[in-house]
Amino acid sequence: MLDPRTHLILALAFGALVVFSRDLNWLAGEWFALVLSVICVRKAGRYARWLMIVLPMAAFFGGVTWWTADLRAGATAALALLALTTLFFLFFALTDPEDLGNALVKMGLPYPVAFVITAGMQFVPVITRRARQVFDAQRARGIELRPGWKALRHYPAFLTPLLIQAFQMADGLAEAMESRGFGRTGRSFMKTHHMRPRDWATIAAGLALVAGCLYGRYY
Amino acid sequence: MTTAPFIAARQMGYRYRINGNRPILDAVDLAVERDESLLICGASGSGKSTLCRTFNGLIPHFYGGILRGEIKTAGRSVAEQSVADLFDRVGMVFQNPDVQLFCRTVEQEIAFGLESCGLDPTVIRRRIGETAERLGIEPLLSRNPQELSGGEKHLIAMAAILALKPDMLVMDEPYANLDARHVRRIRTVLRDVHRSGTGVVICEHRLALTVPDVQRMVVLNGGRIVADGPVDTVLRRDLNAWGLEAPLPVTIGRQMNRTPLPLTVADLPTGAQIPVSLDTVHQPDTPVTAGSIVIEVNDLTCRVGEQVLLDRIDFRLRQGECLAVVGANGAGKTTLLRHLMGLQKPSAGTIHLMGRDIAGMSAARLASRIGLAFQNPDNQFFRLKVHEEIAAGPRVLGRHDENWIAELVDLFRLNTYLDRAPYRLSGGEKKRVAFASALAARPPVLALDEPTAGQDFQFRKALTKFLRRMRTQGLAVILVTHDLAFAEQCADRWLLMANGRILVDGPPRQVMADSVAMKQAGLTPTDRFVLTNRQAREVAHA
Repeated sequence: MLDPRTHLILALAFGALVVFSRDLNWLAGEWFALVLSVICVRKAGRYARWLMIVLPMAAFFGGVTWWTADLRAGATAALALLALTTLFFLFFALTDPEDLGNALVKMGLPYPVAFVITAGMQFVPVITRRARQVFDAQRARGIELRPGWKALRHYPAFLTPLLIQAFQMADGLAEAMESRGFGRTGRSFMKTHHMRPRDWATIAAGLALVAGCLYGRYY
Repeated sequence: MTTAPFIAARQMGYRYRINGNRPILDAVDLAVERDESLLICGASGSGKSTLCRTFNGLIPHFYGGILRGEIKTAGRSVAEQSVADLFDRVGMVFQNPDVQLFCRTVEQEIAFGLESCGLDPTVIRRRIGETAERLGIEPLLSRNPQELSGGEKHLIAMAAILALKPDMLVMDEPYANLDARHVRRIRTVLRDVHRSGTGVVICEHRLALTVPDVQRMVVLNGGRIVADGPVDTVLRRDLNAWGLEAPLPVTIGRQMNRTPLPLTVADLPTGAQIPVSLDTVHQPDTPVTAGSIVIEVNDLTCRVGEQVLLDRIDFRLRQGECLAVVGANGAGKTTLLRHLMGLQKPSAGTIHLMGRDIAGMSAARLASRIGLAFQNPDNQFFRLKVHEEIAAGPRVLGRHDENWIAELVDLFRLNTYLDRAPYRLSGGEKKRVAFASALAARPPVLALDEPTAGQDFQFRKALTKFLRRMRTQGLAVILVTHDLAFAEQCADRWLLMANGRILVDGPPRQVMADSVAMKQAGLTPTDRFVLTNRQAREVAHA
C-alpha cells in the first residue's frame, strides 16, 4: 500500500500531463492508459457506471467546442474531459478520503480544512437521499418535479426544503463534532502514514514518465 | 464529608437568541450523581433537550444565548469549561443519527473521539475492539455508517461515545423512529452501561419504554422542573397535566393502590383483581362503519434486482376505515405506501383507486385522490408562511377552496401560526401543518407515514380524536407506524408485514393474538392486549 500523499502527487502530475497534452492522439493514448489502470485495479464495473454519467457530459462539452471551433477541437476537448475525470475516478477509488485528510494534515494543512474536505464527501450520499425524499414529498402533493417545463416553475419547491435541510444538517453535524472533541487540541491519528522508499521510487518513476511524455509531446 | 454532585444546577435559566424573551429553562435546580440512572421527561417543547445540552457545555458555548444562574459539571462551572474539556466526561448521543455519523467507516467513527483525546493508536484500536464487542457490532466495523439501519446507526453513535469511557452518558430521545427490536437492543445496552458504573441520563417522553430502566425521574413543564424524585413517587403525580401519559401498568397499579407501582405488565401480580375494565383505562375506538371500497390492491409485487421488496400484496380499504400497516424496519411498509402514491411502479400486480387502475397515472395526478403526510414534514415546506404552504398543493391541482382551508386551519389549531414560516415551528406544529396540507385538496384517502414519531401524548391524543372525526365523514385512512399502542387505538384493521409479505390482515387483537406471526415480524404486543388476554385467561380459570 502506498502513502496517500504518493497518490496525490501522482494524480497532480498526470493531471498536468493531460492538461498540457492538447493533442487528440496523445489524449487518446493517455485515456487508454488510464482505462487500462482502472481494469488492472479491478474497478471496471464501477467505472462503467461512472462513464454513464460522464460520457453525456463529455459529448455535450465536445459538441459545444465542435460548434464553436471544429470537429478535431471538439474531440480533443471531450477526450481531455474523459481523461481528467478517469484520473479523478482512479484517485478516489484507490484513496480513502480520511487517509488523504490525515496525510494532508501531515503535509501542514490545518486539520479543520482537511476535515471539511473528507466530511463533505461523506455527506454527498446523505444529501442525495434527502433530495430524493423532497422530490417524492412534493410529487405526492401534486407538485410535479420530473424534468419538463412544469418542473421549471416548481423548482423552489425542490430547492427550498433541500437548502433548509442542508443548513439544519450542517448545524447538527457541527454540534455532533463538537460533542466528539473536534475543538480539542493535540489530536492523534489511528492510522499513521509514512513515506517509505517504495513511495519515493513510485513518485520518481511517475514524474519521470510524465516528464518524458511532455518532452515527447513538445520536442 | 459529602461529595458534590456530578451535575449541579442552581436557579438556572436559559433563552436562545432566536426566541426573543421566552425562557426555555427557568429557575432549574438539579443535582445528578455520577452513577445515577435518570429520566428527564416532559411534553414537546418543555426544555428536555435544552437542559441536557447544558451538561456538556453545548449550552452556552455552541448555542450562545443567555444562561443565568449556575450549572456545574464535575465540580466546575460549565461557563468556565469548553465543550472540548467536557466531551469525554459527559458523552452525548443525539436524536438524529444521520447527522452525527460523519466518517466513512464505523471503525473511523468510533476512533474520532478517541483521536480527539490524543490517545495512542494502540489504545485507540484496543478501545474500538472492546466497545464493538460490548455492543455486539464487530461485523459492522468496516461498513459505512450511512448505509446502516436506523437502529444500527443509534448503536454506532452510542459506541462512538462509550469508547471514550465517559462518566455520564446522555441520550436525547434514543427510541425515536426505532422499531421494537432495536428499542429492546438499545434498552439492554443502556442497562448494561449503567450496571458498569456509568451514569445514564435519558431524555424521553415515552414513559413506558423508560421508567422500568431508571431510578429517578425529573419532569419538566414550560422550562421548569415540576417533579423530581424516585420513579415510584413521581409516577403517582398527575402526569397528564404535564402532557405525559403514564404506562398502562402504572395507571392500573395506581387504581389498585399498589406499592411499589408496577412498571411493566410482568410486575402486575397474576390473579389480582383489576378493579376497572382495561377499556376504561385506555379507551379504544369503536370501529366506524366502513363504506364502499376506495383502494383495492391485487398481487402487488416489487422486485429490485434479486431482492423482493413486496411479495404478492392483496388488500382492500373501504371508505371510513382506518388501516394500520405495521412491521419492523425493512418490512416493506414504506415501499407499499410509495406504490399507493404512484411514486414507485410495481413489478407485477394492480392497484385500483376509486375503481380506476392507477397504472400510468402520475404521482402528481394521484395527489388529489390520496393525501400523504411524510414522516419528516421538512421535506415539503417551501413557502414562507403556513397559510401559503397549506394552499400550495391545491393551487397546483386546481382544487383550491379557501373555506375548506379555513376549516382545516381551525381543525388543526393553526390560526396563530398562519403568518409564521413553517420550518420555524416546533415538531408537533410542523406535523399539524403537514396533515392540513395533505388534506387541503380534499382527498378521499389520507395516508400518514409514522405520524406519531417524536410526538408527545397530547399530540397523539389530539390526532386520535381528529382521525375519528374525519373517518365519520367518510375519509379512509392508512397509517404506517411502529407505534402499536397508537395503531391499536386508531385503526380497526392491521396489516402485519415482514420481508415484503402480509403475514396477517385483521383486527388488532386478532393480529396480536397470532404470536408466531408477531414473532416473525419482530413485534411485541401492546400492554393492553397482554393484560386483556391475561385477565380473560384468569376469568376462564376461575
